Amino acid sequence: MPEAAIRTEALVKDYGTARGLDGLDLEVLTGEVFGFLGPNGAGKTTAIRLFVDLIRPTSGEATVLGLDPRSDGVELRRRLGYLPGDFVVDGRQSGRELLTYLANLRGRVAATRIDDLAERLGLDTTREVKTLSRGNRQKIGVIQAFMHEPELLVLDEPTSGLDPFLQAEFVAMAREVAAEGRTVFMSSHVMSEVQRCADRVGVIRAGRLVTVESIHELGQRSARHVEVLFAAPVPAEDFAGVSGLRDVAVAGSRLTCRLDGPADELLKAIAAHPVITITAEEPDLTDVFFESFDIGRDDAG
Amino acid sequence: MLADSFTKWLWDRRRSIATWTVAVAAVGGFYAAFWPTIDSPDMRDAIENYPSGLLEALNYTDIATPSGYLSATVYGLVVAALVIVYSVSAGARLVAGDEEAGTLDLVLAHPLSRSRLALQRYAALVVSLVTISSGLLVVIVALVKPFDLTGISFGDLLAMHVHLVLFGMVFGAMAYAAGAATGRRAPAVGGGALLAVFGFAANGILPQVDGLEWIDRLSPFAWLNGGAPLQNGLQIVDLSIMVVLVVVLVATGTVAFERRDVSV
Repeated sequence: MPEAAIRTEALVKDYGTARGLDGLDLEVLTGEVFGFLGPNGAGKTTAIRLFVDLIRPTSGEATVLGLDPRSDGVELRRRLGYLPGDFVVDGRQSGRELLTYLANLRGRVAATRIDDLAERLGLDTTREVKTLSRGNRQKIGVIQAFMHEPELLVLDEPTSGLDPFLQAEFVAMAREVAAEGRTVFMSSHVMSEVQRCADRVGVIRAGRLVTVESIHELGQRSARHVEVLFAAPVPAEDFAGVSGLRDVAVAGSRLTCRLDGPADELLKAIAAHPVITITAEEPDLTDVFFESFDIGRDDAG
Repeated sequence: MLADSFTKWLWDRRRSIATWTVAVAAVGGFYAAFWPTIDSPDMRDAIENYPSGLLEALNYTDIATPSGYLSATVYGLVVAALVIVYSVSAGARLVAGDEEAGTLDLVLAHPLSRSRLALQRYAALVVSLVTISSGLLVVIVALVKPFDLTGISFGDLLAMHVHLVLFGMVFGAMAYAAGAATGRRAPAVGGGALLAVFGFAANGILPQVDGLEWIDRLSPFAWLNGGAPLQNGLQIVDLSIMVVLVVVLVATGTVAFERRDVSV
């Protein structure tokens, strides 16, 4: 069995006034995309900065790529890519200047790699950073984290500021990393973002891991929103007895409902009438998540 | 230019360093060019009538010779003040400024130790001080003939500049150490400013109090100019004090930086 990319045991980080982590036990497997989900202030950034040795734990242990961040920090950081949650850099330099410098600190980055990634994300690296939009700055952050093809990517809210097209591109990049057997650890406070990208998701709340779930399994047992347009008005009672169906609403020839479980019974009930269109959305795991684990939606950001 | 954090620091501040070099050379040269005006009977009479305490406070006691004049006005006062301002503000930025701006995280997530980053940047600060000091040296050498700054040997002038660079390194190290230990600019600038105020008082004013004559030995201004390197060449004891202080400050700051949490 391959060594875990990240493993923590009873990790505690006390900030004096507040507690950032309160006994975090976490295991991230090599080759997976792990989503680290939690409301703002739950301890996501604290955990991430501990992995990179920017801060030190009060107690407990963290092992990243089999190394102790505290004692083997330089070797560890050679092998990982990090994107800070708040990616700020000196504005009086071009993207190319910054990326070249960071690549030189790393030592071995293929010369064409920066250009390829910049082209892929549509970033003009000749422009001064201060003239770039937030989204374009974030692209620089993503490029510097990915460019040296690290074994482990530790990304704090990687898609913040990126438009939907670039978010999709980011998802593709993360999946490629996992397909090559490398590991992605990314934090987010939005379930839908993690859902598209991650194999597993861990939920952190008040410095503790609440649960770890497989996205695939979660999707199977979560409700989908289904909408059907019939050729003629249908009676609502035809769908009243269908198992797993909730929130049934019929307005003339339009049926909307939420399906939880197998679709067979619903399909057969629908088939009794002439159908024009049918739409079944991918389940939004946000709902199932907050229902299953009784995590307050309000503090989910 | 972007090979490591040493060259990157210099490259990022190339405009600032150039501006400071020109400014220090211009102000220093401007004061030096006033020598022929000072070197007149009227001015000498005027200065002789100053209270001796004031003359001592300003280090103007030997102002009637070119080297004494340059030593007191240019190196001991105006340029010293500019070098302090530069060194403290640059020293405070080495770690604390970067950290407060939120830009330190990214670099520290790369494969280099904090000490290495910090020491490379301090070394870059030293190089910038040498650059600034060299600009002034060139100007002063150029002014010797046209402005009758006679009786100054090039060796002594060079010695003065060695003292000047180390003087800047002390203030840079003070600001660096306070900033590296706390991660905040205010204590870094405050530490440097405090040293400057104490140094100025301990050099000119406090020694005039009975029983406090010795306090002059604790002033960076005394290490810079007390032994009059412009007349007497390198002052080994003063230089050694400054070197030791720089080493202690930089080492202390670096160790503290290595141990603490980096703030977001």
